[in-house]
Amino acid sequence: MRKRKNWYFVLGLILTALSVGYSALGLFWTPYSSTAMVGADRYALPSLAHPFGCDHMGRDVFSRTLEGASATLTIALAVIVIGFMAGLVIGALCGYYGGAADAVVMRICDAIAAFPSVLLGLVILALTGPGKYNVILALGILFIPSFARLVRGEFLKYRDRDFVRAARLMGVSPLRILFSHILPNTWPVLLSGLTIGFNNAVLAEASMSYLGIGVGPGDTSLGRMISEAQSYFTTAPWLVLFPALVTVLLILGAGMLGEGIRERLGED
Amino acid sequence: MAEPIVNIRHLNSWYGKGKERRQVLRDVSLTLAAGETLGIVGESGSGKTTLAKCVLGMVTDYQGTLQVNSPRPQMVFQDPYGSLNPARTVGWFLEEALRASGVGDRGERRARALDMLTQVGLTGEHYGRRPGQLSGGQRQRVSIAAALIQGSKLIVLDEPVSALDVTLQAQILQLLADLRARYQLSYLFISHDLAVVYQLCDRVCVLYHGQVVEEGGLDTVYDHPRHDYTKKLLAASLALD
Ligand SMILES: Nc1ncnc2c1ncn2[C@@H]1O[C@H](COP(=O)(O)OP(=O)(O)OP(=O)(O)O)[C@@H](O)[C@H]1O
Ligand SMILES: [Mg+2]
Repeated sequence: MRKRKNWYFVLGLILTALSVGYSALGLFWTPYSSTAMVGADRYALPSLAHPFGCDHMGRDVFSRTLEGASATLTIALAVIVIGFMAGLVIGALCGYYGGAADAVVMRICDAIAAFPSVLLGLVILALTGPGKYNVILALGILFIPSFARLVRGEFLKYRDRDFVRAARLMGVSPLRILFSHILPNTWPVLLSGLTIGFNNAVLAEASMSYLGIGVGPGDTSLGRMISEAQSYFTTAPWLVLFPALVTVLLILGAGMLGEGIRERLGED
Repeated sequence: MAEPIVNIRHLNSWYGKGKERRQVLRDVSLTLAAGETLGIVGESGSGKTTLAKCVLGMVTDYQGTLQVNSPRPQMVFQDPYGSLNPARTVGWFLEEALRASGVGDRGERRARALDMLTQVGLTGEHYGRRPGQLSGGQRQRVSIAAALIQGSKLIVLDEPVSALDVTLQAQILQLLADLRARYQLSYLFISHDLAVVYQLCDRVCVLYHGQVVEEGGLDTVYDHPRHDYTKKLLAASLALD
């Protein structure tokens, strides 16, 4: 059998490895301190010493994108872990058992999803105050409904399949049926949902930071950098360009990987 | 006389709730003695699967007497593509059945799974395969292995050979007959094919619109059908031969 090369998967994997490697590097190392301001370097064009140039305060943009990317990546990952874990449990139970509880929970999810997420994030952050951990919490909660809905749909699809019935007849416990029997079948859909969720988390963090309700003033993140740089877009476009490029790299990699995973796992 | 393994008296059952509630089985009575094979025939929608589900405790909306004197009866489903978990290997779900019935030792589970595979005419080669890597006949053998591995004595077979071609049908029917003798099994064998029923069953019970219209030994029913529907069924299956 001829197997078509899965380009989405290969390219997605390369791009993801690059952007995750880039972000991971930022956790441990930056060529300069991301906050060191050098007056003489204000608006410095990209050069060997400063490959991405310097910003309006004379800070090294390369160092700042490294650190910003690692902040954005950690936030996005933490958000989807929270959203996915909670969404998985809620969605699995609702989809498998159905009934009145399912109807109520899904109504609540719809209600949450009906609000613009940035607005809801604003409300939560108004209650908790700004900062990285609060952003994670706020976005994590906001991401639960969409994951729950996705997972629920999958479990609903499988609960009356013969192999699930057979497992029930054999006396397999409900918990094992949910997570050992049904869950492995849902990975193609859930994994690509996860990559979409990851992208949305990156974008949500960026837009919240862009609106000034994201990470605190002391922290760097890609969204925050883009937000700060927008006033200099015409005079110093590289200030926007590089953080935007890194953001696109992150999103593109995850998106293609998701498509590739679906194609790959959907095959057999 | 020994107690029957299945004893059904005046069973009525329904699907749906409220206004949608529809009666599917009407006043069904039948028995299955230990070691016996009872064929259930009837056209599509006559309630055969529903009857099977009642016996297996999968239908709860029923009235009447329903006694099943065999622990954990198992089912072999019609569609060998849907009844095996596509994400798991053959070995995994055979062992999963053993885990569910409390066999704690991994080595023992593995040994028994491998043994069961040979009992149904497969080999260790199939142990690590996923259902997608098996043929239809092999899948049905795996389904049978899974139904037997917990030691259940009552097996409900819902059209187990309908999805297979004729030569495969014969092989699977032979396997079922062999296993029945080896493990002293009782079968409730559902089919719409009188010829298939004739090969495996001791008695036959004809369902029509949820009612038992005829019941008796093979020869009685096949040679002297009383109900019009049975006569039609017989004529249809003779026409095919
Ligand atoms: N889950 C269900 N909910 C509502 N009605 C159902 C359900 N399952 C079956 N029915 C209905 O009950 C009747 C009997 O169905 P059943 O599946 O028992 O028929 P069957 O004899 O097994 O048919 P077939 O030979 O096609 O498998 C049919 O009219 C069917 O539409
Ligand atoms: Mg049926």
